[in-house]
Amino acid sequence: MQTKQNSESLDQSAHISEFLSAIKTKSDQLANYFIFSFFAFGLFLATFYDTWQIAVGVGGLLLVAYFSAKMFLADLDFYQYVLSAVLGLFMAQFIYQMHGLFEMHFTAFLSSAILITYQKWKLQIPLLAIVIVHHALFAYLQYSGVDGIYFTQLDHMSLQTFLFHIVLVAAIFSVCGLWAYQFKKYSEMHIDLIFKKKEVENMELKRANYELDHFVYSASHDLRAPLNSMLGLIEIVKDETAEEHTLEYLDALKGNAERLDAFICDILDYSRNLRTDIANDPIVYRELLEEIGKNLKFMGDSSRSVDFITVIRGEEPVFSDRSRLNNILNNVISNAIRYQDASKEKPFVRIEIDILVDKTNIEVSDNGIGIPEEAQPKIYDMFYRASNKTLGSGLGLYIVKEALGRLGGRIRVSSAVGVGTTFYIEIPNRHTDK
Amino acid sequence: MEATNQKKLYRKVLVIDDNPTDRFIAEKMIEKCGFAQQTILCESAQEALEYLGALEHEPDELPQLIFLDISMPGMDGYGFLEQYAKFPEVVRARSIILMLTTSLHPDDITRAQNSPFVARFINKPISRDKLDMIRNDFPIVY
Repeated sequence: MQTKQNSESLDQSAHISEFLSAIKTKSDQLANYFIFSFFAFGLFLATFYDTWQIAVGVGGLLLVAYFSAKMFLADLDFYQYVLSAVLGLFMAQFIYQMHGLFEMHFTAFLSSAILITYQKWKLQIPLLAIVIVHHALFAYLQYSGVDGIYFTQLDHMSLQTFLFHIVLVAAIFSVCGLWAYQFKKYSEMHIDLIFKKKEVENMELKRANYELDHFVYSASHDLRAPLNSMLGLIEIVKDETAEEHTLEYLDALKGNAERLDAFICDILDYSRNLRTDIANDPIVYRELLEEIGKNLKFMGDSSRSVDFITVIRGEEPVFSDRSRLNNILNNVISNAIRYQDASKEKPFVRIEIDILVDKTNIEVSDNGIGIPEEAQPKIYDMFYRASNKTLGSGLGLYIVKEALGRLGGRIRVSSAVGVGTTFYIEIPNRHTDK
Repeated sequence: MEATNQKKLYRKVLVIDDNPTDRFIAEKMIEKCGFAQQTILCESAQEALEYLGALEHEPDELPQLIFLDISMPGMDGYGFLEQYAKFPEVVRARSIILMLTTSLHPDDITRAQNSPFVARFINKPISRDKLDMIRNDFPIVY
């Protein structure tokens, strides 16, 4: 639970940072357009007072400053502050180029508005600082009578006018900063809300899943308990009667009860495969096969014992989902036993396991009745049964295929009627570090 | 009957199951297979604990095998194991516990396997084959 919680909150911050990086990418694109437009605008302004040197020199330097900051400090947000400063300097350049044309001061407002896109109020600071320093310095120099300084075309500017000018600029920048801040807060809140909703939905889903799981287990147990009592009683009655017909009926009864029981188990396996997470257990094939062999000993027709041959090659440590693997092998091997050929003297099941580094190849072959070629593509279908002679639920190989799907494995069959069947199973090795 | 008489019998076997049919099956099967001289049936974990507790001072009278059903109303099989753990070593040393159930829940299986007192997890119903297997895997010691 602890780790679940952790990964969820991690997920959320990942989503926020993903959102922020999307904003950044988009804004960077826009910034490129604007900064080149500014440069081009500088070239256009050069035609008025022949300020080509300034347009190319200063404008070019500003471009270089911005792009080198972006290139060399790409990981930091520093280049965005450089952008802010560069936009401020472009304003100064334009004012100069137009010899103090008042409307050029409006460029600062344009820059301030452009910066909102990054949704960072702090980006307004370098711009504001440059505007203040520029205004103060150039206004002072121009009115002190220094030549070649173009700040304004006004002959006189009172301190009051100057202060109004600066305060209004600061106010506009503050409002732009506020919008940037609000946008960001709003986006974050929105993501938060979506996540909380998702989390609640997830929890509800988990609970529903758990309840369904619990229900399936309880129901299957409650169905099997009386069924197994019946099977026990059938055994006792069989033991106490010698009447041939009665014995025959009892065998039929037993067969049907066993079939029902197997069906309930199959449904349980199916639902378990669907809903449980994939485990990563160390697998010892020898033990697994021994266990399966032990369980299958009590299966079906016990008058004929099937020769159980196992060959295991390879020493690699294997990791997989033990319960699913057990399920897969159990189904395939029990099929081999179930569909044995009564006309053959020595029925066998041969299980060959090749353990490689990244996968395991399993070959289960028998000398049973075989599967007709036309039936072979359908054997993995839900409820499909190739033979009507036996008691299968028609779910076994479907479950095998589903479980293999969950494990990332594959299954293939080759079979000939009257000769036997071989299943080739490939299961990837889930290493511990995953 | 000839053949089974030659096999060794467990002296005493305890069956704990709330289902009367299953108790009957167990008793009958044990009798038919010549599995034990005496079969004690308890219909609840509580009753079984009282029975075992009463024999604390005559450990030789304790059952050699205990068939324990997991799902029972009131105290279930795990509840029984918790209480059983509180018995003195002399009592616990005498009996082998076999979990008898129809449950396929992996949690049930792991829980049973993790209990130090449970020797095996056996699916119902008790049959001749299973009793033979038990006799084979847990030889009678006197």
